[in-house]
Amino acid sequence: MDIFLEALLNIIDPVTLIYMVVGVGAGLMAGSIPGFTIAMAIVLTLPFTFSMPPAQGLATMISVLVGGLSGGLMSGILTGIPGTPSSVATTFDGFPMARAGEPGLALGIGVWSSFCGGIISAILLVLFAPQLAMVGLEFQPWDFFMLVMFALTVTASLAGEHLVKGLIAGAAGLLIRTVGEDDAVGVGRFDFGSDYLLTGFDFIAVLIGLFAFSQLLSDLRNPVTARNALSDRKQVKVKIEHRRAIGILLKNWVVVIRSALIGMFTGILPGAGGSIANILSYDQAKKAAKDDSKFGKGDPRGIIAPEASNNAVEGGALTPLMALGIPGDITAAIMLGALLMHDIVPGPTFIKDEPVLAYSIYIAFFLASFIMIGMQSGVLRVFVLVTRIKTYVLATVILTFATIGVFALHNSIEDIWTLFFFGILGFVMRQFGFPLAPMILGVVLGNIAELNLARALAIDADPMLFFVRPWSLFFAIVAVFSMIFPIYQKHRNTGSLLERLFSPLVLFSLSLPLFMMGGLLRTALAVAAIAISSTILWRRFGSQSKA
Amino acid sequence: MLASFEIREPDYGVLSPAAWPRLIIIILGVLSVIYLLQSIRMPKEAKDAAPRKSIGEFILYWRNVIAVFSIFALYLIVLPYLGMLIGNILFSFILLTVLGGWRAILMHLLVALGASGGMWLLFTYVLEVFLPRGSLTGL
Repeated sequence: MDIFLEALLNIIDPVTLIYMVVGVGAGLMAGSIPGFTIAMAIVLTLPFTFSMPPAQGLATMISVLVGGLSGGLMSGILTGIPGTPSSVATTFDGFPMARAGEPGLALGIGVWSSFCGGIISAILLVLFAPQLAMVGLEFQPWDFFMLVMFALTVTASLAGEHLVKGLIAGAAGLLIRTVGEDDAVGVGRFDFGSDYLLTGFDFIAVLIGLFAFSQLLSDLRNPVTARNALSDRKQVKVKIEHRRAIGILLKNWVVVIRSALIGMFTGILPGAGGSIANILSYDQAKKAAKDDSKFGKGDPRGIIAPEASNNAVEGGALTPLMALGIPGDITAAIMLGALLMHDIVPGPTFIKDEPVLAYSIYIAFFLASFIMIGMQSGVLRVFVLVTRIKTYVLATVILTFATIGVFALHNSIEDIWTLFFFGILGFVMRQFGFPLAPMILGVVLGNIAELNLARALAIDADPMLFFVRPWSLFFAIVAVFSMIFPIYQKHRNTGSLLERLFSPLVLFSLSLPLFMMGGLLRTALAVAAIAISSTILWRRFGSQSKA
Repeated sequence: MLASFEIREPDYGVLSPAAWPRLIIIILGVLSVIYLLQSIRMPKEAKDAAPRKSIGEFILYWRNVIAVFSIFALYLIVLPYLGMLIGNILFSFILLTVLGGWRAILMHLLVALGASGGMWLLFTYVLEVFLPRGSLTGL
């Protein structure tokens, strides 16, 4: 209880509260502007939080995150252009509803769904993270190494259409991280005799360059659209209809909870984030509806599903971060960067060792959702003003800000050069269709992977241990299947052998490490996995031979 | 790949510092070969879909991007002399004018002064970060 109070005092501190309000506001704005992603907003917040104490800095970043996730719905509903990839599905029904004369109701439903999604996932985060950390305590260096590999492969296979490009990006990210003195013995690597390279790239400068700089350049590429404003609307007179929206939400509480759970699960999975969750839960809401004829024409459930799920994603993404030190998506990876910046290395013992900080994160998450609700109406007015600013002006101001922010990290102009180089790299990669997410994960997790590899081989030089230890084998198997997944997806509905074998094969192979782990629950799980996969196999092949 | 052989072998430690980078490079190499083979095997129509551009068209198409990169590089070169306050104001003003044209030049000046100046004040006096002063300007 003392810990809880201490954490609460950390967050209730007036300065922190001001930062959080500013953070939510900034997040809402960034989220509402198409072309400015949440990840970009958070990565640009990092330099600000550098001089703050860890709890305050994290609270600020969480506020930006929560604001950003809810900000996307404003432009999605009012202009039909999603503010972020996480709210693409919101436009399907939000925009038609707004056009039909109910923009206030559409916004209200969106805002309150966001709120519910955030709160549900925050509760699940508080419940699950310590449990997952308990499991994480079993992890040895081998297992951690494989977990990182799994995080990279699954991100690579989900991030883009092209698996090989994703894997190349991930490997390149790992390689970028090795430049400079190595952590264990301090030997220079890839320094080519230059002092600049010997110190290594500051990875926050790398992140800002790869993500923010390259994004701004893509926004500016077309000289005509760069000079346009987002919308030429002079004024929007909308009052968010809170009471009616809450009524509709209460009536559709099943959709709210289902979507939040989908979001939460997608978030926990490394690599999959809000951009997948919102479409997935929209799809599910549509499938589950008895009468889906109104979907696409302004069905309230079509707004509830994506908005509840995209806010729930972050609770999910923070769970493996707090429990294992492995981020669930890019935004969580940047949060990991913020923790590392303050010399806090999260791992299975994080919640036990730093309970105050862990509770501060929980509380900030809850509080930010409430601040978001409170600020939504006010920001709506500013949003209309911001959409009238021309793209190039906004981009220039943000770029200028990025230079100051990157400099402030270490008081070094060299970091701005890093920003510049990786801005070019990120832009070129974007143009050639290489996904950036695996690369960023590679840069953030590179050290962790190497450290655990070194530790594992120091304990026992036998590399076979990576495939014999249960958890390590478990992650190796899911990593392999995550790489096959894109091929499976291509063959879907073709009735090919791969399609019919995929899911039973996954279950069969996963039962092996589960058996190896022993214990009552896991053996039972393994038996269940075999039983389910046998039934699927029997249904798909057994019934066929009869017919 | 070659560079990984320049990493000094320490006499102590268990995992050589070169092992990890080399492992990544091998994986990266294999992946690149796969990627190359895939691109070669790609059907011909898909390749022809992107029309070839002359250098002039290329520059015209990417002119904003090229402008941002060159101005940014220039800014980085003069930054140690001008300092961050003046450097950033000039940088944002020039960039705005190049991207937005001459017509709104007054607005560009105001935005440059307001945004760069404001951020400079914020960082110097609120966050207490010392931003670089120029060796020529002293600011």
